[in-house]
Amino acid sequence: MSKHNVVKKLPGVFLVVGFLILSSTLLFTPTQAKELAQETETYCLSCHSDPNLKTTLPSGETLSLYISPEQLKDSVHSPNGIECEACHTNITTYPHPKIDYQNVRELSRSYYSACQKCHPDNYTKTMDSMHAQAAEAGNLDAPICTDCHGSHYVHPPDQPRTLIPSTCGNCHSEEYSIYQSSIHGNALIQESNPDVPVCTTCHGVHNIQDPRTQQFRVEEPDLCASCHANQEMMSKYGLSADVYDLYSLSWHGVDVSVYDARWPTIQHNSAVCTDCHGIHDILNPDDPNSSVNPKNLLVTCQKCHPGVGPNWTGAWTGHYEISLERTPFLYYVDWFYSIFTPMILWICGIYVALQIIRLIVSRARRSLR
Amino acid sequence: MNQSKQSPTSSPNPVKLVRTFPRFSVSQRWEHAVLLVCIAILLLTGLPQKYAASTWSQAIISTPERLEVIQLIHHITALVLTGLVFYHLGKTFYLIIRRKLPGDMLPTIQDIKDAWNMLLYLIYIKKQKPAFGKYNFEQKVTYWFLFFSIGIMMISGYVMWFPETITRVIPGGVIPAAIMAHSTEAIATTIFIVIWHFYHVHLERLNLSIFSGWLNEEDMKKYHTLEYNQLVRKPRKNQDSGDNNL
Repeated sequence: MSKHNVVKKLPGVFLVVGFLILSSTLLFTPTQAKELAQETETYCLSCHSDPNLKTTLPSGETLSLYISPEQLKDSVHSPNGIECEACHTNITTYPHPKIDYQNVRELSRSYYSACQKCHPDNYTKTMDSMHAQAAEAGNLDAPICTDCHGSHYVHPPDQPRTLIPSTCGNCHSEEYSIYQSSIHGNALIQESNPDVPVCTTCHGVHNIQDPRTQQFRVEEPDLCASCHANQEMMSKYGLSADVYDLYSLSWHGVDVSVYDARWPTIQHNSAVCTDCHGIHDILNPDDPNSSVNPKNLLVTCQKCHPGVGPNWTGAWTGHYEISLERTPFLYYVDWFYSIFTPMILWICGIYVALQIIRLIVSRARRSLR
Repeated sequence: MNQSKQSPTSSPNPVKLVRTFPRFSVSQRWEHAVLLVCIAILLLTGLPQKYAASTWSQAIISTPERLEVIQLIHHITALVLTGLVFYHLGKTFYLIIRRKLPGDMLPTIQDIKDAWNMLLYLIYIKKQKPAFGKYNFEQKVTYWFLFFSIGIMMISGYVMWFPETITRVIPGGVIPAAIMAHSTEAIATTIFIVIWHFYHVHLERLNLSIFSGWLNEEDMKKYHTLEYNQLVRKPRKNQDSGDNNL
């Protein structure tokens, strides 16, 4: 009877025991891993905290093997239990396997693929970027994850926000210095303005594309519009949020929207925002150095319309609604047609309708007579 | 002035005589034909450019090369129309200096009276339509509307075609104004032609005199009573027609 009972209860016992085992792993594994990580770190740092620890690579470059314990603790990874071994997968103990990298760059380019393990989305995005293309084309200095984010001392890349342009500026120094003097860069650096665009706002983050393509060009007005058509944001700075809509109605804007919608890859030169306002060097139009300051406007127009006279700039309605003061010709033409076209439609319509009614009625009368 | 034309009928017995009256000269008929073709081509090549966002336009302008071809056709047709306008104005000028311009097309006070009487007739206040001469007020409205419309289209069109040259002389503000005028006037003209002109020449009666050059006696009596009376009774000059009272 007892044997019979045990056999009968066996599945239940298994379930209970299994459940206990499973839940115990849930309870204990994280703590265990964390402790292990700290142990690995402590174990590795017992040698690597020595500032003089270094080796010489076959290329003759000196590779410092020093890791600052304080800075490491301050990074995003270490406090979250992501230990040395997470990236240095081939090093499990001491003595280490032999390093066969020829130079420091080769070592970096080999190790950064470890980022993919935990950050697959961003890693895949970078594979699609302009930087990856440059690397494929043979430029081994093209940035990899660690060039922007750091390797051991990884911090949130946008804290503070000024860190973003200065990171890009490590390589793109000319653009960075131009950006710093622009209205956007100046507001970022001087006022820590949270709204102005930084590099990544326009160029993207991981999948940065070539900004010199036709596709980028025709989509560029939409890019500017993502802030400049935002009523709420623009009102903070006393700017008009209608600039994009009014541009879309202009000769340039209509042209660009056709190309954007239908032939985005076909070369076309109708002006987009940056052609007149500048790219990294955008200034307030009231600034005497601004390319769209009334003083400089003619020269800016002449970039595309060589040899036009001083009257030419009057053809640009300047992102403003039709008004008697600014655009008198346009105002009167608009006023005239707002009356004339409906008037023609109504007069013709009513006159012809009356004719037809008269004709039908008299025809009906004749046949009924 | 009057012509008699034998109707081409095989039946031998009653020989029917249809009296026709010349209405338009060969030159005028050609002018109308060229104008018609020009306006049709200009509209067909202009409207797809105005409504570039619509599906039907995208079917026509499918590639940038097509857009270029369409613009080229539009420009060539515009040149032909300009030539026609200069021919028309030149002919008028020639006729004026030779004191030969009939002046039938010039608007008069009588046209306003006719229009008013026509309106009263249409709303059943008057029983009779007013009697008209060679060109009634409707036809004068058609001519003068298109005269000014083509003028606006031409001026604004050339401003858009050569903006860089034109702003050397006149203020830049005219360019956006010309763009708007060209685009909007085209629509007003299209509405006018389709509703007004097509009603009068296709629906009210089929009037092909601008192509054939002549009008038959029946239509002359009915639609151009004053002119008919004048032509038919012309030989008897000493007799008072009494038509002036109509």
